[in-house]
Amino acid sequence: MLFVGTEETILNLAQELRRGTVVLACLALLDEPQYGYALLETLNDAGITVDGNTLYPLLRRLEKQGLLISEWNTEESRPRKFYRASDEGSRVRDGLTREWHDLAASIARLTTETT
Amino acid sequence: MTAPNTLTERYVQEVVRRIPADQRTDVADELRATIADTAEAREDETPEAAERAVITEMGDPIRLAAKYADRPLALIGPDLYPAYIRLLVVLMSTVLPIAVLAVVVIDALDGDNSVGSLIGAAIGGVLTIGGQMFAWLTVIFALIDRMRRTDAAAKSLVWTPDMLPALRRAPDKGGLAAYASVVWYASLIAAIVWQHAAAPYRLDDGSQVEVLNPALWSNWIWPIIGGLAVMAALEIVRIVRRGWTLALVIAYTVADLVFALPLAWIFYDRQILNPEFLADFNGEWTTPAAFYSGAAIVVIAVSVTEAYKRFRMLSKV
Repeated sequence: MLFVGTEETILNLAQELRRGTVVLACLALLDEPQYGYALLETLNDAGITVDGNTLYPLLRRLEKQGLLISEWNTEESRPRKFYRASDEGSRVRDGLTREWHDLAASIARLTTETT
Repeated sequence: MTAPNTLTERYVQEVVRRIPADQRTDVADELRATIADTAEAREDETPEAAERAVITEMGDPIRLAAKYADRPLALIGPDLYPAYIRLLVVLMSTVLPIAVLAVVVIDALDGDNSVGSLIGAAIGGVLTIGGQMFAWLTVIFALIDRMRRTDAAAKSLVWTPDMLPALRRAPDKGGLAAYASVVWYASLIAAIVWQHAAAPYRLDDGSQVEVLNPALWSNWIWPIIGGLAVMAALEIVRIVRRGWTLALVIAYTVADLVFALPLAWIFYDRQILNPEFLADFNGEWTTPAAFYSGAAIVVIAVSVTEAYKRFRMLSKV
């Protein structure tokens, strides 16, 4: 058996818990158009930690799935690709938000019963 | 226009050349902007140091490209891995031994067949044929894995409960000895046939002769080989049935006698060895008669013991 410290175990498992939440957070934030780096900063400031090398490919994948729409903005000094949620993306966001609340309620019930 | 030879350009190039061509320009432009934005926000001493730090954080371009292309970082993904392992085991445990045996037999029939070269052919066969099987199977599965990403319908290798192997029974106690017997009988037959086909003993004049008396091939060698073959076959039946039955042991005893009595007789009668071989091998010396009678007695004793042992195994079940 390989034992790692409790802290490390929590960190690893928490990472798995967070994995699915990045999509929901992106869809929620992208009501307003935003470019990659700024979105990353906003997410991290909001406590949703995600790496660039995960977020940027994820944005493209969501665009390919039709949940996001992108547009190049060349007005500023540096051309940037702005993403925003499509109509389909907004519907998916609402569905995911419901799922999230259900899940949070279930976990809350479970953890209050056991402690 | 050629891009400036910066760390960013080199990194972008390494990422985009691994993703589909129609996305390259777009991903490259976005990556450049993102790296620049991130570097700008950092408070490093120089822009170059910031650029380097950002690219270090982005990590291995192969990994990033795989994320952009939504491609697995494994040669054979988790869906296919069980089927891959199953097929590999089947190939290595059935097809490989047959193929190697074929190579060795062809090599033996081909003329040059000292024991050393046959063993060499067997080892070479295992390495080359086994290596080829492993490599091709892996390549085919890696290709299937990549094609399945676009065609999720390929579900022919889906696991079903029917594929579960039967429960492993209690270990077969005499099983190993039975395997050893099969190998021993098969080796004896192979050695007899081989020395006949290859005539491995070289006389002083350079001609090659058999060790066993060639005259035996018109009479006594046949019951000996036949007896060995039947004993080997009965041992295989024993392995499959996981035990001896009375009928099997009786059949074994008969085969044992068919083998041992002629062998003992040709020892006793001094027919066993090739006279040409014997003359050359012994030179001035003459083999004492006691050697032949002694060998005949040993053959009978060993055969009786072998049959007796199998009757005892029968009573223990």
